[in-house]
Amino acid sequence: MQLHAITLFFLSLWLQPSSALHESDAGVVDWHKSFVGVPNIDTKHTAPTFHEASQQSVLLTATRSNALAALNPLTGSVEWRYVFDPQDNVVTYQKQGSVVASLSGPGGANLRSFNVFNGEMLLEKSLHRPNTGLLIQPNSLGTYIAFGKQTREIYTLTNGRTVNLVNGSDISWTWTAEEQGSQVLYSALSVTEDALYLVGLEASFASYALHVVALSPTSGQVLSSSTLPSSISNGLDDFLVLPNAIVWLEDGVLKHFTLSPSLKGKVKSQKSASFKKLVDVGLSSHGIFMAYQDDTTDQLISITNGELGVTKKFNPSAQSLYTGQIGKDGQPYITCLSWSPNTQAASAEVHSLEPGALVAEYSLPFDANTHGPVIHVAMDLLTDSRARLFLTTTTGAVQIWEGSQHIWTREEGLSELNAVKFVELPERVSVLGEGLSEEGFVERLLRQAKDAKDLPGYIVHFIRRFATGSYESATSSAIVHPSSVSATQIPFRDAFGFRQVLVSSTAYGKVYGIDTGNGEILWSRTLGTGHERGTKIVPLADKMFVLKNVADVDASSPGTGPEIVLLGDSVTEDSTVKNVLLFHLNALTGQDVIQHSKSDGDLQGSSIASKPIDDAYILELEGHKIVVLIDSQFKVHLYPDNAETHRLFSAATASLSAPLRVTSAQGHRRLVGHQFDKKEIVDASDQEKFEYTAFPTWTFSLPEGHDVQAIVAPIRNPVASLGKVLGNRTTLYKYLNPHLLVVLTAPHSTTVLTPTAHCGLYLVDSVKGSIIYEASLPAEGNACNVKATFAENWLVYHYYDDEYQGSGQAKGYKMVTVELYEGKQVDEKTLSSSLSSYSDKMVEVTAYEQSFIYPHAISAITLTSTKFGITSKDIIVANVNGKIQSISRRLLNPRRPIGRKPSSEEQEEQLIQYDPLLPDDPRKVISHNYDVAHVRSITTSPALLESTSLVFAYGLDLFLTRVAPSNTFDVLNESFNKLQLVLTVMGLAAAIFVTRPMVRRKKLREKWYY
Amino acid sequence: MTPMLLVLFLGFLILGTSAVDVKGQISWNDICRGYSQLGHAKVVLDNMRYSGGILRDGFFIIPNVPSGTYLLSVISHDYQFDQMRVDIKDDSVEVHPYVPGTPMNPPSTILLPYPITLSARQRFNYFAPRESFNIMGMLKSPMILMMIFGGGLVLGMPYLMKNMDPEALEDFKREQAKMSHAQAALQSGDLKSGFSALMAAASGQEQTNPQPTPQAPRGQAPNKSRGKGNKRR
Repeated sequence: MQLHAITLFFLSLWLQPSSALHESDAGVVDWHKSFVGVPNIDTKHTAPTFHEASQQSVLLTATRSNALAALNPLTGSVEWRYVFDPQDNVVTYQKQGSVVASLSGPGGANLRSFNVFNGEMLLEKSLHRPNTGLLIQPNSLGTYIAFGKQTREIYTLTNGRTVNLVNGSDISWTWTAEEQGSQVLYSALSVTEDALYLVGLEASFASYALHVVALSPTSGQVLSSSTLPSSISNGLDDFLVLPNAIVWLEDGVLKHFTLSPSLKGKVKSQKSASFKKLVDVGLSSHGIFMAYQDDTTDQLISITNGELGVTKKFNPSAQSLYTGQIGKDGQPYITCLSWSPNTQAASAEVHSLEPGALVAEYSLPFDANTHGPVIHVAMDLLTDSRARLFLTTTTGAVQIWEGSQHIWTREEGLSELNAVKFVELPERVSVLGEGLSEEGFVERLLRQAKDAKDLPGYIVHFIRRFATGSYESATSSAIVHPSSVSATQIPFRDAFGFRQVLVSSTAYGKVYGIDTGNGEILWSRTLGTGHERGTKIVPLADKMFVLKNVADVDASSPGTGPEIVLLGDSVTEDSTVKNVLLFHLNALTGQDVIQHSKSDGDLQGSSIASKPIDDAYILELEGHKIVVLIDSQFKVHLYPDNAETHRLFSAATASLSAPLRVTSAQGHRRLVGHQFDKKEIVDASDQEKFEYTAFPTWTFSLPEGHDVQAIVAPIRNPVASLGKVLGNRTTLYKYLNPHLLVVLTAPHSTTVLTPTAHCGLYLVDSVKGSIIYEASLPAEGNACNVKATFAENWLVYHYYDDEYQGSGQAKGYKMVTVELYEGKQVDEKTLSSSLSSYSDKMVEVTAYEQSFIYPHAISAITLTSTKFGITSKDIIVANVNGKIQSISRRLLNPRRPIGRKPSSEEQEEQLIQYDPLLPDDPRKVISHNYDVAHVRSITTSPALLESTSLVFAYGLDLFLTRVAPSNTFDVLNESFNKLQLVLTVMGLAAAIFVTRPMVRRKKLREKWYY
Repeated sequence: MTPMLLVLFLGFLILGTSAVDVKGQISWNDICRGYSQLGHAKVVLDNMRYSGGILRDGFFIIPNVPSGTYLLSVISHDYQFDQMRVDIKDDSVEVHPYVPGTPMNPPSTILLPYPITLSARQRFNYFAPRESFNIMGMLKSPMILMMIFGGGLVLGMPYLMKNMDPEALEDFKREQAKMSHAQAALQSGDLKSGFSALMAAASGQEQTNPQPTPQAPRGQAPNKSRGKGNKRR
């Protein structure tokens, strides 16, 4: 019985879950950067503005990441943010007093209001069903928010035809435009005491006419309505609604109409000048707006008593941005920010409008090389002569300047990372023994004598370190404090390799090198567009490759380091891809590897393909890494483009294959396997050169109306064991086919919803196209939201199951774990890891699977990865409630005994009884208190410690931590008491020292008496 | 595009016949005292197809929900709330409790009041307390207890033997010799002789019962296998 108890005790030791995070380690082993997204400056109703109420100032903005956020203008911290659901995109916001209100969804379906300072949600109201919303571009068209006298009275215009007065949480009245013969799309509201004016465009022949309706603000009754004799050609950009007037452009002529409840009056026109564009600079409440005349003159125009008057003329030299604000004295002010690409600074002029005087003029040392051109500016007047400016740039950086002083910068572009790679750092270069090679004996002696002066200090330090021992532990910070000498030198790793560089590219055309130790940006480079204007570089999603990692680098030559290759589309203004550029850079410094000459300025790429590329991947042949690109014409491009690469690729052509996602003429996306063909081309230089093309070999057939939605590449890491020994001494050999791909399919978006619509998940051999495993999963309407990850022989996927009618079934999210083993039974071996894909035995697979209920929806899933693959793997998922959670492999073992206690053999395998519900253990939440919003992807990287894996999650926020799925078995436990050990050893030594003479004396005495 | 719009429109008409706003409230309790603790949270039905944000006063409305059976859950970062089964049928809303992982049908017989009232069950604790060095804790661990017991036996045995009755000591020594013989036999793999030695030892022990019970060999068998299993570990 006692033996049994001991067994149980050992078992309980094994079963104890890997330890959770200690509170003191939070923020040391992990970091979290929260972002709000790049400000959406498409319309003035989503662009950033300063807001001041009750002596507090905040910066409000709606962002491209679909968030409404308030930033602290003094510190740059996020005061609050509200992230909308993806199908509920924010289209407009408006603020007054302590309230900010937003419309979101199709046609502005949902009205929400928040406290402007702490983000507490005050109101949420559905104004119409999202599926009846107007689907037009831009999304903000036909929506408008205007506040009444009090902040609880909110007038909304939605769907371009419905006006609501929302008072508190109730709708006081609703007015909907009747369907008439001609379509009117209303787009603006103007609230006055007498009437609520609703202005829209009425389509007529070849142009639009302005249509105005005056409603009673209290009852919503129509007071009058009228179509103004007007002809607007450009639509929305050509008219502005001011509190008491409408101004518009008609063939360059500025016209205006004074609003009154009866809508009687005359259209007046100003023929003195011809204008191109009207812009609201934030002073429309004072009847002031900006009219762009031509390239050299912009006019600020105001309306007073129904007459137009030019307040101020600007003569901008370069690109100019205007922003206005009502000052504390109630007077309007305007700032003109002029900026040219050639200068290193921007100049700002602050004008007061009433006296019409220049208040302040200064230059901002703005760095356009790092951040890109400024595209939006908002201002907050601090004193009469000091303005606070908020700049938004093309790379997604936002900055606050007070006067000519830079206050803070937020790199909001990091909220839209599209490719990320971990790069290991080299060891710290030792500066010891760096003697000159030609120094003589005397010099060396002198130098060493000089070095020896540090010896006493070193000895003291050594003793202290030996006794108290603060060694690196698995939870020590990875921030390495560089010694002052090498402060500006290249980064180096810490003891356990927790410090690495995260090279990441954003959709805004910038590359960052991020320190995994603390999340600081080590370097950043803007991807250059070449010398062409109007084009921008969009890095391709997940097309970043490590061409040289730290082991490939020749350490002796200075200036070299791990190298990264990045692909980007060069996109013209009308969003067509012109060509594909390749950037080759040093991962430690961001330096261009190809052209060393330009160290600052934009990173220049070399054009590698003139057609959009279908796929690109990295190939390792005989220790050389080759980037292979296949363009839409199935032509193959190789990088580095040299003789060695061509020789290697040419030799391996016959054995290579690549699955490509091809879009058919009907818009169906299919998976087609390709192989490569080589063709010799005659070169002038008489060299043997080949041109490679890809030709299709197989097509993955799908049920009618189904599409390939995504291809999940397996996570490739070292495999530590080829099989699993079971409790009964038999072995299951892992099915380790290196060519497997996870293919997710979904019903085609245009097919009519049928009961047979389902989501598919397939494991496909990418050489032959044969299906190794398949699952048909329920579709949510016409959408599929299956998340899957695959490594070695282990597949885990997550989906939503709507079915509850059947016996024992429940609605909810399911997580399915599948393990593939060779052959049809135990102990059967087919050597799948080295078998040819064409062999019959390749499809002989046994799949063990089990399904679990997981309580949350997830947005990303991956597996931990370690250096040698010995440590067990954990599943890492990102929940929709902003958490990153790890799930132990032991829970997801597909061979858990169902409905009975595990037998002793199964206990030996550490199997636990099947429970349909995966426990939602908060201690497994590795992101603990952090709210990691809208994670799109998670990537993991091994550290130098076998037990530990780095986990990086990115989406709106960035989050990095370390996990040790099998506990940190390869480092001394942190709670190990070294002092105690040292004291014990010393005590024993002292005891021996004391007792030895005693024993000797006793022995001597014994000799005397015998 | 037009057919799809038509479908959407028709769908809207069908759904439009009966759609209900599901209303409810978070009742603040000692676990979650107010909005500032809860933060932005929302109440969702099923896979977030229908959702409503929780307002500052704790109220929420999930608008335009068509008839059907739904699973209601709260999406909150720091607090755990109960899940519920919500049945909507012709403008009437029935709320039943639901335990995750159990079948949805049949619904629980308990009917919860509508509008729904939810309260936080627990605040998530993400951290493990740091285990500190604890002498008592160390002494309580079975390994240490065994060690101490073993050490005590080693030290105490000679005194025990000394105080023993000489006759009993003689007996005890004989028993020990037998046991050690049996053990040696078992270890050397000679199961048969080991068994017989064990049996002999057992019968020697059971002086009062001269006839060995028939259960005895069977009683020994599991003992043996357990011993073996333990050795392997």
